[in-house]
Order: sequence, then C-alpha cells, then structure tokens
Amino acid sequence: MKITYLDNNATTQVAPEVVDAMAPYFTEYYFNPSSMYEPARQTGQALTAARKKIADCLGHVDPKEILFTGCATESNNTAILGAAHANPNRRHIITTTVEHPAVLEVCRELERNGCKVTYLSVDRDGKLDTREFIRALTPDTLLVTIMHANNETGVIFPIDQLSRITKQTDPDIIFHSDATQTVGKLPIDLAQGLPYVDLLSFSGHKLHAPKGVGVLFIRRGTRCRPYMLGGHQEDGRRAGTENVPYIIGIARALELSMENRVRDEAEIERLRDRLERSLIEKIASVQVNGKGAPRLPNTLNISFHYIEGEGMLFQLSGFGICASSGSACTSGSLEPSHVLRAMKVPFTAIHGSVRFSLSRYNTDADVDKVLEVFPQVVANLRKLSPYWDNEKNAPRADALTLLQQTHS
Amino acid sequence: MGWEYSEKTKQLFMDAVHGKPGTHLGEIENPDGMGEHGSIACGDAMRFTFRVERHPSDPTKDVITEAKYLTFGCTSAIASSEALCEIIEKGNYTPVTALQIQNKDIVDYLDGLPEQKIHCSVMGAEALSAAVFNWAQRRGVDLKKLGIDMHDEETEEGRMVCKCFSLSEPYIKRKIRELNLRTIPQITNAIKAGGGCTSCHHVPGGLQDLLDQVWGGQAAAAGSGPIQLPVLQGEPASPEFSPYQFAKKVERVVNEYIRPALRADGGDVEIMDIKGSLVYCSLRGACSNCAGASQTLKLMIERNLKDQVDERIRVIEV
Repeated sequence: MKITYLDNNATTQVAPEVVDAMAPYFTEYYFNPSSMYEPARQTGQALTAARKKIADCLGHVDPKEILFTGCATESNNTAILGAAHANPNRRHIITTTVEHPAVLEVCRELERNGCKVTYLSVDRDGKLDTREFIRALTPDTLLVTIMHANNETGVIFPIDQLSRITKQTDPDIIFHSDATQTVGKLPIDLAQGLPYVDLLSFSGHKLHAPKGVGVLFIRRGTRCRPYMLGGHQEDGRRAGTENVPYIIGIARALELSMENRVRDEAEIERLRDRLERSLIEKIASVQVNGKGAPRLPNTLNISFHYIEGEGMLFQLSGFGICASSGSACTSGSLEPSHVLRAMKVPFTAIHGSVRFSLSRYNTDADVDKVLEVFPQVVANLRKLSPYWDNEKNAPRADALTLLQQTHS
Repeated sequence: MGWEYSEKTKQLFMDAVHGKPGTHLGEIENPDGMGEHGSIACGDAMRFTFRVERHPSDPTKDVITEAKYLTFGCTSAIASSEALCEIIEKGNYTPVTALQIQNKDIVDYLDGLPEQKIHCSVMGAEALSAAVFNWAQRRGVDLKKLGIDMHDEETEEGRMVCKCFSLSEPYIKRKIRELNLRTIPQITNAIKAGGGCTSCHHVPGGLQDLLDQVWGGQAAAAGSGPIQLPVLQGEPASPEFSPYQFAKKVERVVNEYIRPALRADGGDVEIMDIKGSLVYCSLRGACSNCAGASQTLKLMIERNLKDQVDERIRVIEV
C-alpha cells in the first residue's frame, strides 16, 4: 500500500540529496576528525565546511557559534542546564506552558533543585500575552526559554519581539529558543532578524536529515556551561567524537531547504489550506486549533467534536495515511495534549484532535486521499458516539447536558 | 579536528627537525641576550638566545647577528621559534627595535596559524622580550629611559587567575589589552589561560570578569555578540515616590504631553507596564507602522519622561 505521510512535525523522510552527500563519510572518509594524519584532516575540513554552511544558512553567523549535538533534546538540555549552571547567582526561569517536554521537563528538574519557574499561559488561539511576559521578568531571571513555533499546533511565537524586550530589560538574561519546528521552514537570521536570541536549538530529522544530529547556536559571549563532558571536541563545549556523516547530512539538508524554501513553503501552504478548507466543508462540528494565530504553513491541527483521535488515526492507518494526535512524545500518557489543554480547547474537542503536518514531498494526491477517506472515518466514529445525532449530522441537543452529568 | 597548518609552517618544522643548514636549533654559548618563556608543565617552553655585534660606544646601536632557540613543543611551537629567528636575522634589528616584533608578525611569517595555536607565536614574542631585557641588564641599558614598559615579572605577580597555567591577573589583563582579546576562547588560544580545567571562566574574578574590567562590559559587543545595554532592574527609580505614585506621574506626563502630540499625527501610545524605572510602551494607530517608531519612543517619550519625572527612566518598545 502506498504510504501517505502527513506527520512531518514528528520526523521527515531523509532527502535523497542528503543521503548522497553523507554516503562517502561512512566508507571512504570515515576518519576521526581529531586525528592528525592527512586523511583525517580531509574529514576535518568537511566538518568545518558543514559548520560554515549551517552558520551561513542562519544569517551568516560565526561558525564558532554553531555547536553540534545528538538531537534537539540534547541541545535544549545543554542550553537550559548550561545557562543555569553558568549563572548560579540567579534562580528564575521563564518558559511557556506549551513547550516541548525537552524544555518543560528540564525546567521542572531545575524547579526541583530550587529554581523558580514561571510558565506563561496562552490564550484560546495559542498566543502569549505580552503583558504577562513583561510582568514575569524579574531581577532574578536568568533565562527565558520560549519555542519558536509549537510542534502540535504550528502557532508561531514572536521571539524577535520577546527576545528584544528581554535584552532591553536586562542584557544579562539569557534568551533561548527551541526552533526545532521552524529551522528549514521559516527564514532564521540570527544576525539581523533575531540579534537578541542567545541560544537556539534544532535537529536534523525535522528538515529531511537523519535522526541523531542536532544543533545548538550559542551566541559568542553567552554564559553557558557544557553538558556533555569529556574530550576537547567542539572547543570543549560538547565532548564526544563528531558524528561526521550526520553533520554533513544536516548541513546539506539545511542548504537544500534554503535553496527551495520560498517555493516549497508556498506550495506546502497551498496544500495545507486546501486540506483545511475541504475538511471544514465536508465535515460538521470541526474546529481548527490555533486558527487565530500566525501558524507554520505546513501544520493543521484540527479537532472533530465528540469523537476520539486514536480511533481516527487507527482507521487512517488502514488507508496508509500517517498523521498524529497530539505530540508523539506525549503518547503513552492518558492525558490529552498539554498544549490543547493550555489553549482551553473544549473537552468535546480536545480528545478528537488530529495533526496533519506536510513537507515538500507531499502532493495534491495526498490531500485527495485524505479528503476521500476522512469524512467516512469521522462518520464511522460519530455513529458510535453517544453525543451525536446522525440524522441531523449534528451534536445531540442534550449532548452538553449528558456530558455535564457524567463529569459532575 | 586536525590542525590546519600552512605549507610554510610544515616546511619550517621539517627543516628544523632535519637540522637543515640555515636553521636555528640550538643555544648560543655566552649569549648577549637570553630569555625563556613557558614551562614543560604547560606543554611548551622556549629558550631564546641571541648574539649582537656590539657598537663601540652606544649599546642601543648593537645589531643582532645571530639567534637560536631550544623549544619544547608542538609543530607550530617549533615553526614559530624558527620563524622568529629568521625574522630577526633578516631584519638587521637592534635589540630595542626587535621589541617591535609581535606575535602577529610571527603568525604572518608562517602564513597564518590555527587559532588554537596562536599561543605558540605569543611564546616566541614573550621569549624575545625576555631576552632583550636580559641584554639590557648585561649592557647597562635603561629601557625605561627609552620609554619602554618593562612589565617585569615582579609587578605581574598578582592574584593567580588560571591555576592550570600559573597565569596572574596583571599578566592576563595586559595580554587582553595588547592582543585585543575579546572572548574567553581568544584568551585561551593566545595565552592558554582558561584552557585547562576551565573553572576560571565565569567565577568571580575569573576571565569573563577580567574581560569586562578591561573592556568595560563591551567585550562581547564586538562581532555578533549579544547587544549590551545598561542593566537596570528592581526598585522604583525614585525613592521619594511609591511605585503607585511613580506610575501615576508617568501616566500624567504621557496623557498631558505625549498623547496629544501623537494623536495629532493619528497615532497613540499605550503603557504596557512599569518595572522599576523601565517603562514598557506600545505604539498604536499610525505610529505602530511608522518607520520612525523607535525614534519617537526614544526621542519624544523617553526624553519627556526623563525631563519631567526622573532622569533614570528608560522606555522599552513592546
């Protein structure tokens, strides 16, 4: 069966160009770049070139400001723990309620060790309140860590504005952003556009490079202790032999995304908008989560009232369609998505959310396929739903009363 | 990664280790000047000796005719030593004019050195200075009279900052200035300080503090470092007002003086918050799309508030 892959915020297909670029570094230039002999020097030069390429793609920053890690989670851990350890005189951190667990759990760990953490709330569209943010800044604040775009809803936060307010209030506060969902999708210019961002994380496998490689941008002069200790690699900021083939891969992938970004993103947005519009047309009682906020062009988080997401995913999977319901990282928990809860998505809809996330490899045929099967998928479940009136194709008049009874 | 040595560096190193004629490995017996720098514990050490052709009456007109070195160190340390001797022998230097030779000249002579290896060239320049001071003592030349700062070891015996490489605060500060070092990695590359256990990087009195002291907190502003702005936090600006009274006063000035002027142009301003003496403002209406918005904030709103409420007020655009 042909796979219709619409879960690109979870991971992406590795681009064939990336595979080609990586291949020689497994069998031919496999040397440890720290070794002294001539062949290793060539491997080292390739590493240097990859670092430069990434620095250029991020607004021509200094290649020394690029640190290679194992994944975005490691980048986030390094950034947050490293900033906290380098600045022990301050104990307050600001983040949001909708961060990825790779940020939230690290903040909670610091909280257990005596730090105070402010979790900023979001409104029903998933937007932050600037006033609340300003109020949260204190003389004790050491770090602000706010994601660039949300992985579940695609809602984009104005980190340019937030980082500027932070640094103008107190230049000693470190500003970190988890940009895992935006690098490769939005223009990221750390020199001109985001000059106040000190630390920025992302990973390769969200932009058509393989899993197992990440990047942390550390602006020169930022106080941040290393997280991985050991050898002198990465100027002593991240020990461990450099994962050369994967680093070559992420550099090539980022370069590809830059070359094609404008065209790709316009096409991806067209497909996403078509999918969104058509689902709303074809299916009753639907809401798009994050609709009122600036969103990534590739993400559609859509809730179908009175039914449950897992049942939809299971049926979709029978048609070879891959999508998700909430973050893959939070699956396994019985709680619905912390992001949708923070957005106060009504309880009739919170369990019925499906996330479609597209990439440059999707086509109109993929959208057609979803539109062909999805109305029936929803209808199948609504037929079973005690809150749905199938004759009227609407919620039963007493649906809310029924629900309130069961909840009280 | 492997070091990126220039052809020149590799060549000088190979010539030196093969003892090719014209190289300078060795030590001059009864030299006219002898200087040392580094120690084996630190990974590289150099002994530099030179001979001069003595001027019959004026020792400052002595000319260096021969230079030799003994160096314990890596490829680039040996190449730097070789380069130093070649520069000196070719240049017809007097000991005093030789002091003008900087580590940068050695780097240039080698067609560049990897950043992590800059300290090798610094070692050469330091050993040369030490040898010149030694010559001055032997020949009875008072360098201070010639306007040359001796920075003798005694005045640099201050608090130990980098324990791994035994480097004192006065020495590190002097080098930060002389070599225009702006970041901790640059310090480490040039003089090794902070390159061992790294515990001196961000502790009070550590390398970052020394950088801040020398450059007045502007160190990181060079290049793409974070943009530095004056720190201001905490208590309300004016102790004579409570935060409530202070806010009322700001609001009154905004309402009476600033808002009418902005409204005349179809704009407006909203005070989002006041923290200490920071006033967070958001421009509305025509102002919010105006290219000169930040100018408006700074020149008009901030100036007015400074004049009429408190000189310490700073306006931040939201």
